[in-house]
Amino acid sequence: MKVSFQALSRHVDLSGVTPERLAEVLPMLGLEVESVHSFGLAPLPLVVVGEIVSFEKHPSADRLSVCRVDVGDGQPRQIVCGAKNFKAGDRVPVALPGTVMPGGFEIKVSKLRDVDSAGMMCSSEELGLGKGEDGLLILTPQKPALGTPLNKLFGAPDTVLEISVTPNRGDCLGLRGVARDVAAALDLPLKPLTVKTAAGLAAAPSAQDAFGFVRSTSEFCPYYTLRTLKNVKVGPSPDWLRRDLEAAGLRPINNVVDITNWVLLELGQPLHAFDAAKVSGGIEARPAREGEELVLLDGKKVKLETGICVIADAQRPLVVAGVMGGAESGVTNATTTVLLEAAWFRPGEIRRVARRLGVSTDSSHRFARDVDPAGVELASRLATDLLIELAGAEVVGPAVVVGQPPRADATIALPAGYVAAKLGTAVADADVTKAFQRLGFTVSPTASGFSVLVPSFRSDVTRPIDLVEEFIRIHGTDKVPAGRPVAPLPGDEDTRSSAFTRDVAGRLAGAGFTECCHYTLRDAAEVARTLGDAAAPQLALENPLTADQTHVRASLVPGLAAALALNVSVHADPRGLFEVGVVFRPQADGTVREFLAVAFAAPAESLVRSWKSREAFDVLRAKRLLSDVATLAGVTSARLSFGVATGGLWQAGHASSLVDRGRSADGACGVLDLRWTRSLGLKGSVVAGEFLLPRSAFAEALRIPRFEAFSSFPPATRDVAVIVPAATAAGEVLNRVQQAAAKAAGKEFALESVNCFDVFSGPGLPEGTRSVAFEVRWRHAARTLTDEEANRAMAAVIAALEKGAGWTIRR
Amino acid sequence: MQQQLAQLVATAQQEALAVASRAELEAFKARVVGPNGSLTAVMKGMATLSKEERPVVGKLINEAKKSVEELLAALLLKVEDAEIAAALGAPWDATLTGPDAPAGSLHPLTRTRERILASFRKLGFTVAEGPEIETEWHCFDALNTPADHPARDMQDTLYLPKSFRSADAPRKGDEALVLRTHTSSVQVRTMLSRKPPFRIVAPGRCFRRDAVDATHSANFHQVEGLWIDRNVTLADLRGVLDFFVKETFGADAEIRLRPSFFPFTEPSFEMDLRSPNLGRLSNRWLEIMGCGLVDPKVLELCGLDPNEFSGLAFGLGLERIAMLVHGIDDIRHFYNNDLRFLRQFA
Repeated sequence: MKVSFQALSRHVDLSGVTPERLAEVLPMLGLEVESVHSFGLAPLPLVVVGEIVSFEKHPSADRLSVCRVDVGDGQPRQIVCGAKNFKAGDRVPVALPGTVMPGGFEIKVSKLRDVDSAGMMCSSEELGLGKGEDGLLILTPQKPALGTPLNKLFGAPDTVLEISVTPNRGDCLGLRGVARDVAAALDLPLKPLTVKTAAGLAAAPSAQDAFGFVRSTSEFCPYYTLRTLKNVKVGPSPDWLRRDLEAAGLRPINNVVDITNWVLLELGQPLHAFDAAKVSGGIEARPAREGEELVLLDGKKVKLETGICVIADAQRPLVVAGVMGGAESGVTNATTTVLLEAAWFRPGEIRRVARRLGVSTDSSHRFARDVDPAGVELASRLATDLLIELAGAEVVGPAVVVGQPPRADATIALPAGYVAAKLGTAVADADVTKAFQRLGFTVSPTASGFSVLVPSFRSDVTRPIDLVEEFIRIHGTDKVPAGRPVAPLPGDEDTRSSAFTRDVAGRLAGAGFTECCHYTLRDAAEVARTLGDAAAPQLALENPLTADQTHVRASLVPGLAAALALNVSVHADPRGLFEVGVVFRPQADGTVREFLAVAFAAPAESLVRSWKSREAFDVLRAKRLLSDVATLAGVTSARLSFGVATGGLWQAGHASSLVDRGRSADGACGVLDLRWTRSLGLKGSVVAGEFLLPRSAFAEALRIPRFEAFSSFPPATRDVAVIVPAATAAGEVLNRVQQAAAKAAGKEFALESVNCFDVFSGPGLPEGTRSVAFEVRWRHAARTLTDEEANRAMAAVIAALEKGAGWTIRR
Repeated sequence: MQQQLAQLVATAQQEALAVASRAELEAFKARVVGPNGSLTAVMKGMATLSKEERPVVGKLINEAKKSVEELLAALLLKVEDAEIAAALGAPWDATLTGPDAPAGSLHPLTRTRERILASFRKLGFTVAEGPEIETEWHCFDALNTPADHPARDMQDTLYLPKSFRSADAPRKGDEALVLRTHTSSVQVRTMLSRKPPFRIVAPGRCFRRDAVDATHSANFHQVEGLWIDRNVTLADLRGVLDFFVKETFGADAEIRLRPSFFPFTEPSFEMDLRSPNLGRLSNRWLEIMGCGLVDPKVLELCGLDPNEFSGLAFGLGLERIAMLVHGIDDIRHFYNNDLRFLRQFA
């Protein structure tokens, strides 16, 4: 809301306060100042009234005129001018040499295209008066004397403070409310508001009223007043009124409309004026009926939602109550009788309807923030005063009222010591009382503390805690001392997922990867690539803002691949990248689950040329890194099972998926789909990995390791090489060997490890097979194993592999 | 005898010059001090000497033996040096650029987050987390922001379709699911699941339906704090924030609490920061975070008795803090992932 310093001064004496000081006071009251700018003509002593005696075309510039201008010093001067909107004899503002214009430009005697020019004739915009008509500001109609300083024609400049009013402070959407806060803060008296029109409301229209009935049948309009004003002369508003509206950013229209707007700015109470000639029968606030339509003031024809509150006459809806007037029933230059509405509408409903219609008007903005019911009649009377004074209106009697004010002043019981207890510091009762009184609250002591009467204009103050805020606003937050730190609470720990987030980032950064951060919202194509076309729609948003941010992400890998491509294109020499963040995955049960994901990606071959070559980042290193990440998350490598990654982001045959079913861990590693990464502009292959764990997995209790005794005797070690079909996974062979070796140990001793130490295919092996060799290690808890025992066990393993699995042993 | 010994030592010194390998050293050693070595032979001759001659000759022999041992030790060093040089190859040029990737780095938002969390940990706050897709109840209603409340105009929210079912945030009834607009929903979940006293900080990603520009981002990060106990006061709030600001921005940073409005706190404040060390933003009040005492209505909605417990809450934008601390002028840098940006924070 735009607050004019001059207008505010009508409500509180600001003679000892500069606008700069006011701009410091308002924020500390909770009224944030967004901007401060001057309004009106700045002091410009060298800008005077001059008359264009004569003019001719510039000899060498079509668009310029050479004017002779008299500024009353007896010596007409020559000024070159580019404007077109004047004629000889016009009076205009002339900036004499030496003037510094509001934009900072200094006027000098100069030549314009070789013609002398001694000053500048000014437009409205050049003088800082806002965008007026094109060309010079023509002062001819006012007939000012030549040489009159322009500041004498215009009032003193004003300062306008644009303040942002929080949703709880509807009272500050009127100058009176802002003034109340300023008066309280500076401990100044609020000037009384003088209204001449008599107070009082009538229960029914009189014979002189220009409406036959007024009623409300809408639950959203509990309180409605309407009065008749006759013999209204619609015309332009006086300068002071136009100035006030313009200072507040409103466009003057005609005196009747301007008066309702002025009262809205003054008191925060929206009013509506109907042309009585266009109202048939009477006025009713009622629910809109099915199929009703209305052409709004802005020319838009809307279908009215059934049930919303409209102001209607006997035949049709005229206004969307509290939101926007209709085009047909408003005041025009032909209007002579005005019906003036002042009412109170339910804030939540006004907000809903305005949003639904996609409009926010000065009226709906205020009604949605709960206007003061006690101010409804006052606003009607203030507007009536002005209609009488400025439009010659005649009042036929009091306004007619239906319903009751929906709320009154509130009484709050404030227990003794409550304020101090909330502040955490001692405060004197007298200070508390004084602060409330400055705000216009009435304080009376009671047996248990205070009773505070809060006027209805402060709908946000209803509870003791609200009074604490009021006190601290006026008392000053700087008077609250900083409390002393307290000890941590025993047993409190960070959630494990957050500790993991931190640790895994450190682990990957330590391994040479650079952390990235991508948007969660992705386009449909990316999610479809990750999840497949069938599952992708499950991650779509209801109301995306842009076409490239329609889905929540299913994987961090596409972001990393794109970041690699970006950094290749800008020659930033990308190496490994990683990211930690939340991704979303559709589940078999139809839900979508959040996973904490960790992903990394790096070019397989370094993109950076070096004098010494290094080992490539291959799938095995990716697998290792992924296992490390899983271990940090509490999923040991032993729990992970690796399978074949299929399609999507991954290159078939060169990537692996991994799962830990127990904890719903998920993931993959390997080479990214080459066609895809090439399409991104990456020439070589990219190796990546991603590990996903649902939040619930982190909720499991941490297992505290228990000590197990181990043997002090040496192990027995035997090797076995198995020839298997080339397509048989090494993991399958390993499983078989492990099972057989464990079984061979029986209960007497134990299998300690099976380690793959060689994989071979080629000469000496049948076509289409490969040899996978393992070292098997057994150990006895209480003695050294004999050669015979180890040989016997190995024989059993070999038998199991040959007979059980049908594989050949390489001898 | 003296002459014989001198001759022996001189010969050994002459022969030593030719020793270049461990094998040659061993052969040389055998020739001089081995069982059949030249020095050994002289020493054996001692037995034939008279009682009077022995001390004189013995002294001479010892001197010769010492010379030979010194010679052998020097030879051993020479041979070892040669072996080490052979094993290690040519000397290393430390000025050559290493071929390995330089250390990676944490994202500036991660660094800023961890720095902030570390300062709150000192005050006994521990980290809590919650889902990014939330129910409207957890995101708004429980925070005293019902559907028709004008405060809901303050932010535009991204919704999930009616068909969307979240495993992490099950709906009650037919409420909508949203991408959370703040991490205050984590505060709600904490109040519902834990018994006071507790102090938590909730870092996390939040979403607004905002067009992306230099200061707006479709997603951003917050760190919110909540302290619930008996008798938590405004002085406690000031103490916590003062500590945080001095930790993050240095001892000469100062704060002020500017009254404001949030539906979930009463009284509510914007905390402004002023510091001499913020480049062109130095020495002026900068809005940093919202804060206040937890509104009694919120305590009630989250199952806590406002007559027994009170609390304080605060929330700040990670991007905003990181931009101030590092002098970053455009929020989009955080999400572009240009390494020329990211590497500046290594």
